[in-house]
Amino acid sequence: MTDTLPATIDPEGGALALPSGASAPEDRAAPLGVFSRPKTKTGWRSWVSTVDHKKIGIMYGATAIFFFIIGGSEALLIRAQLWAPRQHLLSAEAYNQVYTMHGTTMVFLVVMPIGAAFANYLMPLQIGARDVAFPRINAFSFWCFVCGGLFLNTSWFLGGGADGGWFMYAPNSGVIYSPTHGIDFWNLGLIIAGIASLTGAVNLIVTVLNLRAPGMGLMKMPVFTWMTLVTQFLLLFAIPVITAAQFLLLFDRQFGANFFNVKEGANPLLWEHLFWIFGHPEVYLMILPAFGLVSDMLPVFSRKPIFGYPFIVFSGVAIGFMGWGVWAHHMFVSGIGPVSVMVFSLTTMFIAVPTGVKILNWTATMWGGKLKFDTPMLFCIGLITMFTIGGLSGVTHSVAPADTQQTDTYYIVAHFHYVLFGGAFLGFMGGFYFYWPKVFGYMLSETLGKWNFWLMLLGFNLTFGPMHILGLQGMSRRVYTYDANYGFDVWNKIATVGAFTLAASVAFFLFNIFYSYKKSKTMEKPGPDPWDARTIEWMIPSPTPEYNFDPVPTITHLDEFWYRKYGETEDGRLVRVAATEDVAQPVHDADVHLPAPSYWPLVTAVSLPIIAYGLIFSLWLCIIGGLVLITGLWGWVTEHPDDPDAAHHGDHDPGEHTPGDEHDAALDATSDAGTEPSVTTDAETEAAPVG
Amino acid sequence: MKKRNPLRLAFGTFVVITIGVLFGVMTWSFIAWNANKPLTTLTPQGPNAQSIQNLVNPVFAIAAVVFVGVMGMVLLIVFKFRDKGDLETEDVMPAQLHGRTWAEITWTAIPAVVLLVVALLTVVTLGELNAEPKPTALKVKVEGQQWWWRFSYDNNDDGVYGGPGDVVTANELVIPAGREIALTETSNDVIHSFWIPALNGKKDAVPGMTTDWKLQADGVGVYRGQCTEFCGLSHANMRMVVRAVNEADYLRWTENQKLDGRKPAAGTLAAAGEEVFKGQLCSSCHLIRGVNDEKVSNPETGVKSQLVSGVAPDLTHFGSRGTFAGSIFNSHYPNPTNPVEGDIPFGQTCKVKGVPGTGLDANGKPMDEATLAKLPDCPPANVKDTLNITYASAPGNPDNPVDRTSLGDWLRDPPGVKPMAPEPEPQAGGLKRGMPNLKLSEEQINQLVAYLDSLK
Repeated sequence: MTDTLPATIDPEGGALALPSGASAPEDRAAPLGVFSRPKTKTGWRSWVSTVDHKKIGIMYGATAIFFFIIGGSEALLIRAQLWAPRQHLLSAEAYNQVYTMHGTTMVFLVVMPIGAAFANYLMPLQIGARDVAFPRINAFSFWCFVCGGLFLNTSWFLGGGADGGWFMYAPNSGVIYSPTHGIDFWNLGLIIAGIASLTGAVNLIVTVLNLRAPGMGLMKMPVFTWMTLVTQFLLLFAIPVITAAQFLLLFDRQFGANFFNVKEGANPLLWEHLFWIFGHPEVYLMILPAFGLVSDMLPVFSRKPIFGYPFIVFSGVAIGFMGWGVWAHHMFVSGIGPVSVMVFSLTTMFIAVPTGVKILNWTATMWGGKLKFDTPMLFCIGLITMFTIGGLSGVTHSVAPADTQQTDTYYIVAHFHYVLFGGAFLGFMGGFYFYWPKVFGYMLSETLGKWNFWLMLLGFNLTFGPMHILGLQGMSRRVYTYDANYGFDVWNKIATVGAFTLAASVAFFLFNIFYSYKKSKTMEKPGPDPWDARTIEWMIPSPTPEYNFDPVPTITHLDEFWYRKYGETEDGRLVRVAATEDVAQPVHDADVHLPAPSYWPLVTAVSLPIIAYGLIFSLWLCIIGGLVLITGLWGWVTEHPDDPDAAHHGDHDPGEHTPGDEHDAALDATSDAGTEPSVTTDAETEAAPVG
Repeated sequence: MKKRNPLRLAFGTFVVITIGVLFGVMTWSFIAWNANKPLTTLTPQGPNAQSIQNLVNPVFAIAAVVFVGVMGMVLLIVFKFRDKGDLETEDVMPAQLHGRTWAEITWTAIPAVVLLVVALLTVVTLGELNAEPKPTALKVKVEGQQWWWRFSYDNNDDGVYGGPGDVVTANELVIPAGREIALTETSNDVIHSFWIPALNGKKDAVPGMTTDWKLQADGVGVYRGQCTEFCGLSHANMRMVVRAVNEADYLRWTENQKLDGRKPAAGTLAAAGEEVFKGQLCSSCHLIRGVNDEKVSNPETGVKSQLVSGVAPDLTHFGSRGTFAGSIFNSHYPNPTNPVEGDIPFGQTCKVKGVPGTGLDANGKPMDEATLAKLPDCPPANVKDTLNITYASAPGNPDNPVDRTSLGDWLRDPPGVKPMAPEPEPQAGGLKRGMPNLKLSEEQINQLVAYLDSLK
């Protein structure tokens, strides 16, 4: 099926229509005879059945922004409540739910998924792949995230949100201290979202390692792809830890187990250790994708290569490794012994070294450049400066004795917002502006973008800057109110004003999306390479065609696309060697073998919240959910990964396989990486549900 | 030359300047605006907090230098290397520098060396803070529970906290100034964290285990604290106070605390309050020694607690404390002769301006007009000062009158003024977390206030 086909739904391909003999040859009968193979490429069905990494990436982003609006509204409620001492806008009960859900939403349903959105959309393009290694698992992973996130948020309508803080320390998370179902929703929702992260991690790691374009050695990968690889490894090892902890909590709460029951001899520090062994790598896996984006954007707008590419890469890898040895810095006051405190204090200090290396390499990249201050660049500079503040406050509480004064105060709140908002989120905002034309085929307005940036920078600093002083002057975290006379009033007022300014800047961004879309209809299309960029995703048409590359380029350089446009003289001067139009790929109707869409990942994912509701309300629902799960998996297993119809290319001569055929790309890439092509050698088995 | 939007340029400049000013004011606050900030970590009042501050100062100084360095560098780069938009040089690209190994080594090594220095200072300070307490140290067990603190002393140094001859109190830790206090912390329900910023950093109180911590106050004074580990509904309302007094006062205080609860004179309002206390649910959780010892939970007598945590604050010497309900309310007015307008103490000694005919005698009964008329006018009313805690001067002394409004509000509806979970929870075996509304009559509330105030 090609793009030229009319965008109508195949009369025989309705979602619940029984397959006719014509559309399903005897040897490849549609499984179960329920869902015929989805064929449409437009309309909502094309989205729910898609296995295209680009559509999945877009859906990750859109869903994350939806949750960002929810989490942001929760933040505004928090700030409104803290506007003045002893306010009653929120009760203590409501406040505890709102701040717990704010943290949980922002971490698990916003920052992580935006990272996943970029990883899904961008990483296969950066390595010249046709899709990810396991397209259906990719879809499953996305639907798990949606199901987990929505399930978690339905708690608001079913007895209230979780009220134990996003860190959910035991035994306060036990059924005695939190008798509502909020924590059950939190627990089960995050277990489901964890499945999304874990399957996604396996998928993306295999993709990076096995599906790179010919010639793309590991040290020719764009930094974002590198950081995605590191991030997914962090997820691969971190998610099982939190999931194990959550299962213990699940058994405690649902079935009266005693893992965290102190009266039966449990030690509450068990949860703290498990949570933070997950929780600290979590911090790095949230920030590293943004670091990757910045490392790819800065050279474009500085018109210089990234300074010290191997150091940028290895500092990211070092952060990934060292991130596993610092978790107990969250527990300096928890009663672990002085030797542990000392060790974790020192390891934490030294993780600042690779982080500092990154900052300095970024400034060195800009040094001597010819800087263009387009909106993405502004966000990059915002990240460098704001993350530096977060990094420095981080060093101040790696000093364990100082941390005994700082921990659990607003100083920490300031710190991690400078890291996660000032770091990760500003980087993602830059990424949105930068990649918008590639993804949607139109540019976001620069004028609105710049207002967006300045307003966001202002609001961000007004909100979180004062929290440094609030914390150092004694305001505890997680308090639903405070008294007058403690000197907290002024700074809290500034922070609240800042929060609403920040909300306005987000409104600018959302408005920009619609405004620019409307404007784009009368404007010239941006073309494949609006920024004069460096990496290969910019040599394909905007928006990205379904098949990504045709043909897949052979890579000889880091910044391959740049060096197809420019050459370097001996003394480092650039000379143009080709016009962009000559080296970019034209829009054409390629008839390329692509993974076929499927409903089964969605069906399988939807079973999980049903089981979860069952665990909370009635075990009967578990049985129904279990049946859906079995059906989903059965359908998935028996469904052929390729649509027998779509896979038939009338004009596609097997003798003329382009390197773009994913089959070959996989082989080439794996042999290049020197590993056994264990998983993806055969397109037939490629989407097998091994995850 | 590209056209720039002047409005946007102005706004960008405004933002940069605003952020600069913000960080300037923040720095000034950090250094000099810590007065009247009772929980500030930046003005240590004891040796432990001072050791921490001695470490914080150089670390923040280093951080400030790096901060200024990086920000200055970025601003310089942004200014110096901006694309000036000259059409002539439009196509001229900058030199393509891929990296310099010496630069990488330099900026890996320099931060590593600086951090090594910080690490050494940290190790030394950790050693100081974790040194064994001196043998002369006063030993106190700190127990956190939702949402108040219990302090059991080991006055006789027999290794038993709160045993015979030892003091047990709630929310207010009274210590001798200048002496080291060795704390053993634990919790009776969830994790709490004990934090008196002026005296030391914080330490978690974890159920099922004990943690050790030290405190020492250089001088006489009242030091505020706040629970800092999220502990449920009223985490925000779980505070505590350390009151450092001189050795003589400390001894006097200790001797008084060891006594059983004072018996109010027969026929007084307070005596009626004692009956209310005994007759109502109060006495099934709160202990007043010599009054209801057999009614509160005790493994020896087999009386089971109605509370998840198993304990409620000991009220034997309630009137000697300056705060109640997790130290969120002050018990007394700061000035003996200046009652707050509309809040008239028992046994009034002056006429409250603008509130004629509301005088109360020592029994809480309205005074007759003639007696009231003879009283002098009260001085202008005080603003309620929640910052400074005041204490009843001495047992039986009517100075510093009890804050009837706050205490009355508390008794009228405890979960209303401090969120708690006092309903028996089936999943918790029918136990409660916090003080329920006992639906006391106004008369009973008056009587209880008088009684509690008499428990000096």
